[in-house]
Amino acid sequence: MTSADDGVLAEVVRMLVEVVGEDFLLDVQVGPDTTFNGDLALESIEFVALAEKLRARYGDRGDFAGLVAGMDLDQIMNMTVGDLTQHVEAAHA
Amino acid sequence: MPEVTARGVRFHVQTMDAWEGSPGGAPRRAGAGPAPVVVFVHGLVTDNLSSFYYSLARPVSAAGAHAVMYDLRGHGRSECTATGHGAADAARDLFAILGELGHHGPVHLVGNSYGGVVALNAALARPDRVAGLILIEAYGPAEHAGEWTEGMLNSLGRTALALEYERQADQLLAMGWRQRGRQAATADALINGTSLMEDLAALDPVRPADLATLSCPVLAVYGEHSDVVDAGTLLLRSVPGCTLHIMAGHAHTLLREGTEELLEVMLPWLSHHAGTTVPAATRSPHAARPAAPAASAEPAPSAPFAPPVPPASPAGVR
Repeated sequence: MTSADDGVLAEVVRMLVEVVGEDFLLDVQVGPDTTFNGDLALESIEFVALAEKLRARYGDRGDFAGLVAGMDLDQIMNMTVGDLTQHVEAAHA
Repeated sequence: MPEVTARGVRFHVQTMDAWEGSPGGAPRRAGAGPAPVVVFVHGLVTDNLSSFYYSLARPVSAAGAHAVMYDLRGHGRSECTATGHGAADAARDLFAILGELGHHGPVHLVGNSYGGVVALNAALARPDRVAGLILIEAYGPAEHAGEWTEGMLNSLGRTALALEYERQADQLLAMGWRQRGRQAATADALINGTSLMEDLAALDPVRPADLATLSCPVLAVYGEHSDVVDAGTLLLRSVPGCTLHIMAGHAHTLLREGTEELLEVMLPWLSHHAGTTVPAATRSPHAARPAAPAASAEPAPSAPFAPPVPPASPAGVR
């Protein structure tokens, strides 16, 4: 993992704390393999809130248009944190 | 713009700009007029704007409309108030939110389930502000008071019971428990902590005489096996500019389970009535012509839905 990935990952973790609360995330070590549904038990509306924060932080890079196009809700929720950070990083490259 | 305060209540709002998610993201619509605004209104208690965020909103915005989604009060991430959960208040909330967003002209409303009740009431209260209605599995239209809310309230009760049951079951799965637990907490807060159930029980149906006054075009989509499908039939019989599409094999959950077919019906209809485009991927030999003149009230002859019929005539009902 590059330092740039660490930066995006740290930002995503910070946003997750804002969306779901710090108490819950104390029990979970968030890494690239963490899934939004299975590991974080994120609700779909919370994923929307996360998406909004990514867009506010990264602009078009944080937008999910390219990432989630063609995915249904289950596929989106089964993504990993790494899928998300890679998307932001790839758009940045 | 994730939050808007309207009528003293904090609402969670999400928007998608026109052509967001379209190939290249560039405007493809002929003409230079402002993008039409399409507002999505979700269903009750366990529902929220995410139902549209992941299904219809992006294809609609990619077709050239500005998509607006919001959580009804007490739902999703909007503020929960003790009172004000009836359809009339919800319609006032809707226009107040649009005002805060700077949308003061006519909009197209898309309502799912109870969201259809809100959309119908909004169109009747402010016909000058509603250019078109897309009603998906909408409650609301009925001949008599009482009969129409029974199914909705029963369904709500079943949902609450299911949540309670699943919450216990999911205690075995700690991570799954969090989602169910939060949904159950939302349901409990609304059902036991607010006037919601009283407000719903007090709602009048939208009767045929009122439906007949709707001047905007209406697209009604219902599942073949839905327990609400009679409302669709009543809409077709009563609304002058109504088109009814029955989705074979589907029930009340068609928004999530039949998204693709729903879009195949919605996007040509929006193209016809709002001037959006029809993406090539959803264009079929049966689809209405894209970019048809918005002034025309008649869908293209090849449209994949039943044509409007005169009031009180059952002909054409599918």
